[in-house]
Amino acid sequence: MKTEPMAGKIWRAAWQSVAMVVLAFAIGLLANESRSDRLALVADWSPAARLSTDTGDSMVVSLDEAKRLCLDEKAVFLDARSPEDFARGHIQCAKNVPWQGFETYMDRVWGVIPEDAWIVTYCDGETCSLSEDLAKELDSMGYKKVKVLLNGWTRWVEAGLPVERGDEGRRIAGKDTDGSSS
Amino acid sequence: MAEGQTNFFRRQWKQDGVLALTARLILGAVFIYASLDKIAHPEAFAKDVYNYQILPDALISLTAMGLPWLELVIGIFLLIGLFREGSVSIVTLLLIVFFGAMVFNLARGLDIHCGCFHSSAQGTDGAPMAWYVFRDGLFLIPALYLFYRTFHRENGFRGSGFKVGGREAKQHQIPGK
Repeated sequence: MKTEPMAGKIWRAAWQSVAMVVLAFAIGLLANESRSDRLALVADWSPAARLSTDTGDSMVVSLDEAKRLCLDEKAVFLDARSPEDFARGHIQCAKNVPWQGFETYMDRVWGVIPEDAWIVTYCDGETCSLSEDLAKELDSMGYKKVKVLLNGWTRWVEAGLPVERGDEGRRIAGKDTDGSSS
Repeated sequence: MAEGQTNFFRRQWKQDGVLALTARLILGAVFIYASLDKIAHPEAFAKDVYNYQILPDALISLTAMGLPWLELVIGIFLLIGLFREGSVSIVTLLLIVFFGAMVFNLARGLDIHCGCFHSSAQGTDGAPMAWYVFRDGLFLIPALYLFYRTFHRENGFRGSGFKVGGREAKQHQIPGK
């Protein structure tokens, strides 16, 4: 090769990079086509869009509505976070149904909560998907009035709404939690 | 053919030195490992990409489909040592982009799921974003070293490795240097 070394390297880096990117994305597109749960090439990935049911209704519940459902005891709240997080603090009207290991906690739902009951699931964080996954599972189990309170715990606490501490067996009412209690 | 391959790897060892070879193998293994879960769960990875809130909606699906495969391809090429300049460039670029994306979100206070090794299907793992940034920074060290070795050392490795055998090795010696 007669090219000056550095230029040669940059040239090689360029065409190799392009080749690898094209190869990878071609495989990616083909692999996606072959999947049963293939992704649409352009899709809306916002929580509101992800959380629409087959009938097109949104499963997202506003904080105001959730507050009303809790204070009027119209809905069962399900905390999808871990038992440890739940014990540190949770929404007052919530039961703990951790999404991780859902099978072992299913008996807190199945046969206990009537299928026509309003259910609000929540977890914590802008992007936490536990509540979303739990809600979808409940929906497929036949619960048709399931809602998701996005970033529920943080927003609930920020709004100064009633919370509790303690695990499923032992509850301690409280107005505020800093997460440091055990 | 077998002899050609033996020469090929021996030449890699001699030309690269232990450090560069190790860096390459580590990065290759890390990228392959990182790609697998994302390839298996594109939808969960798409959510992770969305959660970074950097890319426009139109590019999220495409990224979720292609990026894991790019990581796999790069990882394989790094391991076997083909397309050296290209794979080293992309691996460095990707790590810098990931680093930037995470620092950007850390700075604006968005504590999101990393999506680096496991897509969010399994839920949050509770590690803070700062740890992911640190870990990405660690991977940048071998990547930048390789980048330096590949592009700045005058007698560093040249050639994409397509040609194997001793004759190629001789061609790499630049006369007068």
